[in-house]
Amino acid sequence: MTDLAVRSPVALLRRVTQPARSMGRRVEGRSVYLILTLTAAGLVLLGWFLPWFVGPFTAGTGFSPQDVVSSAPTGFATVLVYVMGASALIVVLSPLAELVARLRKMTLGVRVDQVRAIAGAAGLVAAVLVYVLVGVIREEPAFGVLSSTTITNSAVWLTMYGFGVALFAYGAKGLVLTRPNLAFAIAALPFGALLPLMFHQAPDFLLWAASSLAIYTLLALGLNVVVGFAGLLDLGYAAFFAIGAYACASLSSPIHGIHLPLWVLIFLGAAIAAIFGALLGAPTLRLRGDYLAIVTLGFGEIIPDLATNNVFNLTGGPNGLPGIDQPKIGPVDFGTSPQWYYWSIVAVTLISVLLLRNLQRARVGRAWVALREDEVAAAATGINTTTTKLLAFAIGASVSGLAGAFYGSMLTAISPDAFQFQVSIAVLSIIVLGGIGNITGVILGSFVLTFVIFWALPHAHEWSATFAHNFNVSAVGNINFPQYTYIIYGAALILMMLLRPGGLLPSRARRIELQTGVESESLAAVQGRA
Amino acid sequence: MTATAPAPPVAQGDAPKPALLELRAIDVFYGRIQALRSVSLDVADGEIVALIGSNGAGKTTTLHTISGLIHPSRGEIYLRGQRINTLGAERIARLGVGHSPEGRRLFQRMTVRENLEMGAYARRDREGMRDDYERVYTLFPRLRERHSQLAGSLSGGEQQMVAIGRALMSAPSVLLLDEPSLGLAPVLVDVIFEVIREINAKGTTILLIEQNARLALKNANRAYVLETGSISLSGPAEELLNSPAVQRAYLGV
Ligand SMILES: Nc1ncnc2c1ncn2[C@@H]1O[C@H](COP(=O)(O)OP(=O)(O)OP(=O)(O)O)[C@@H](O)[C@H]1O
Ligand SMILES: [Mg+2]
Repeated sequence: MTDLAVRSPVALLRRVTQPARSMGRRVEGRSVYLILTLTAAGLVLLGWFLPWFVGPFTAGTGFSPQDVVSSAPTGFATVLVYVMGASALIVVLSPLAELVARLRKMTLGVRVDQVRAIAGAAGLVAAVLVYVLVGVIREEPAFGVLSSTTITNSAVWLTMYGFGVALFAYGAKGLVLTRPNLAFAIAALPFGALLPLMFHQAPDFLLWAASSLAIYTLLALGLNVVVGFAGLLDLGYAAFFAIGAYACASLSSPIHGIHLPLWVLIFLGAAIAAIFGALLGAPTLRLRGDYLAIVTLGFGEIIPDLATNNVFNLTGGPNGLPGIDQPKIGPVDFGTSPQWYYWSIVAVTLISVLLLRNLQRARVGRAWVALREDEVAAAATGINTTTTKLLAFAIGASVSGLAGAFYGSMLTAISPDAFQFQVSIAVLSIIVLGGIGNITGVILGSFVLTFVIFWALPHAHEWSATFAHNFNVSAVGNINFPQYTYIIYGAALILMMLLRPGGLLPSRARRIELQTGVESESLAAVQGRA
Repeated sequence: MTATAPAPPVAQGDAPKPALLELRAIDVFYGRIQALRSVSLDVADGEIVALIGSNGAGKTTTLHTISGLIHPSRGEIYLRGQRINTLGAERIARLGVGHSPEGRRLFQRMTVRENLEMGAYARRDREGMRDDYERVYTLFPRLRERHSQLAGSLSGGEQQMVAIGRALMSAPSVLLLDEPSLGLAPVLVDVIFEVIREINAKGTTILLIEQNARLALKNANRAYVLETGSISLSGPAEELLNSPAVQRAYLGV
C-alpha cells in the first residue's frame, strides 16, 4: 500500500518539476539519513512506550497498550504489541549497526534497507491495529473527542506516525527510489493525507494537530523564500502572518458585517500580505544581513503593537477579533468537524510546496541564488536586483497570508498575542533547524519543532510528575519545566547548530558554504553606500 | 582625444568610425569622494581599447559606470547612440554590454555550467545560447572538462575563464574586461590574451583594463591612460607604447 502511495506521487512530482535540469538537483549524503533515522526512531519509540509512563495523560487518547495486554483476548493483541516492540527495536538498532559497520569500513547491502523497511511497515501496521483494537474492546471510538482548546496539543501523535512513514520511505529508498530526499518529502507530507484513511473515523484531535502543523509548515515555507532562497534575513515574519490573519478576520466576521468565503479570503489574505511584503521590502533594498534583520525586527514589533492599540478601530485591541466565520458550503460545515479545515490546509500546503519548488527552479529561483551569491555579478548579468528582491519579500509574505486566512477561521478568534516576536523566532528556528533554503528540510523542521515547542516542552512537567510518582523519584517531579522551556529550547538550538550547522537537511549552498567558507558580496558595497 | 595633462604628441590617426560606446564628460562620486573627473572616451565597433592607469586611478569605477552598477552624477554614456547612463544595470546588460568584473565575482556555489547559464540569464533564444555554450567551451576547452565543478573550487586561471565565458554568454556587442590577467601565471596570461584577440576577431568589441600596461598596449588598437580620475593620455596603442611619458610612468623603462 505504502509502496504505491510513495511511488506514484514521486512520478507525479518528478513530472511536475521537470523544467529544472541542472539547477537545484540535490543528492544528500547518507549521514543525514542516519541522524534522521535516529531522531525518528527515538520519537516513534517515545510514542509507543510513553503510555506506560504517562497513564493520566493518555486518558483522552484511548491509547493504552496495558489495556491491550491485560484485557484483550490473549494472543492476537499481545502478538501485535510484541511486533511493535520488535520493529521499534530493529528500527532503533539498525542505524547503530550501520554506524558500527561504517566505522569498521564494512559495506552494507540492500538487505539492511529491506529489513528496515519491513520493520517500519510492520511497526506502523501493528500500531494502527492496536489503536483500532483498543477502540473495539472499549466499545468507543478509537479516539475520544479532545477539547479543541489547544489544537496543537496532540501534534505529537501525528508527528510520530509521520516519522514512521518517513522511516518506511527511508528503508524503501534503496529499493524503489533513486532520489531519497524527494522520497522523504513525499513520504512526510501525505502521511497526514493517509492517516484518516487508516482509521475508522477521522480522529478530531489528530486533524486539529495536523492543521496547526500545516500552518507552521506554511509559515516556514514562506519565510524560507525570503531567508533561504533570496538570503535576506527577516526577523519579523510574524507581522505578515498577522496582517493576513487580521485582514481575513475583518472580512469574514460580524465586525464590519462582511462575510467573504474562505476561498476568496485565502487569495485576498495572500495578496494583502504580499503587498505589505513588498512595502517592507522597498525601503530595505540596500540593506543586507544584520541591518536588514534589525529593520524587519522593528516591523515585527510594530505590527502586533498596532493591533494591540486598536489602530483605526480595526483590530479590536488586546482582545482581538472574535466571531470569525467558519465556512459552510452546502452540506459541508467547517464548524462541525476539523476534517474540512484539515483537507483544505493539506491541499493548500501541497500546492504551495509544488509552486515553491517550481519557483525555486525557475528563472526567479536562479536569480535569487545569483543574488545571494554575488549581487554585483548578478546585476551585471542582467538580473533586476530590485524586482527580484521585492518578489522574494512579496512571495514569502503571501504564503503567510494563506496561513493567516486559515488560522483565524480555525480558531474563530485572533488576538495580538498570537503574532508576537516568539512566533517569528519559532518559524525562523524551524527553517534553520530543518535546513535553510531546502524545502524538504524546512518541512521536516516544521514537524520537529512543532513537536518540541508545542507538545514536548509544555508537557514535560506532566511526564516528569507521573514518572516521579510511578517510580518514587520525587526530585524529578519537582522540576518546573514550563519555567525552563526556553532554556531547553535554546540549548537544543545551540546544540543543533554545533552538530549540524546546516540544519537537518542542508541545502546545497549551505553545505558548500560550510565546507569552503565561501560567502557572498553586496552591491551597495561596490557603490560605496554600505 | 582629451588631453588634460601636459599633452605629449599623440596623434589620432583613426578613420572616423561610428562609436559603439561613448562616454562624455563623466563625473562619478563615492559619497563625497570624486572618483572620476570628466572622463570621456569612445570605443568603436570592432576595436580592442585598453584603459590603463595606476592603482586607484578609477579604471574599475569607469567600467562599473558603463555597466550601470554606479550612476554618474554628470555626463552621458551612449551605446550605439542610445543614452544609457540613466538605465539600470540589468537593462544595460540586455542592451549588449557584457561585464567581466574585477576579482571575477563568480557565483561560487554554482557549477561552471550554471555560471554560464546565469550569463545567458537575459536571453531567450535557445538556439543561439546552445551555440554560445559551444563557443565558450571551444575557446576554453578546460571549462568543458570542468563544467560540473563548483566555480569556487576552480583555480584562479580557470575562474578567469569562467568570468570571461559568463560575460560572453550574454552575446554582448561590447565586452568589458577588468584585469583579466590578475594573479595568473605568464603562460596562462598568454592563453587568456589569445582568447581575447580571438573573441575580438569574431566581432566582439572589447574594452580592457590592465595593470600590465605593456601587455595591454601590445594587444589593443587604442588606449586611454587614466590618472587619479581623469584621462591624461590617449591614442593608438603603439604610439603610447613608444611615448616617453607612458614608458616612464607605466612601463618602467
Ligand atoms: N565602493 C567604494 N567606496 C568608496 N570609494 C571607492 C569605492 N570603490 C572605489 N573607490 C575609490 O575610487 C577610486 C578609484 O577606484 P577604482 O577601483 O576605480 O580604481 P582602479 O583604477 O580600478 O584601481 P586598481 O587598479 O587598484 O583596481 C579609489 O580611490 C578608490 O578608493
Ligand atoms: Mg580596479
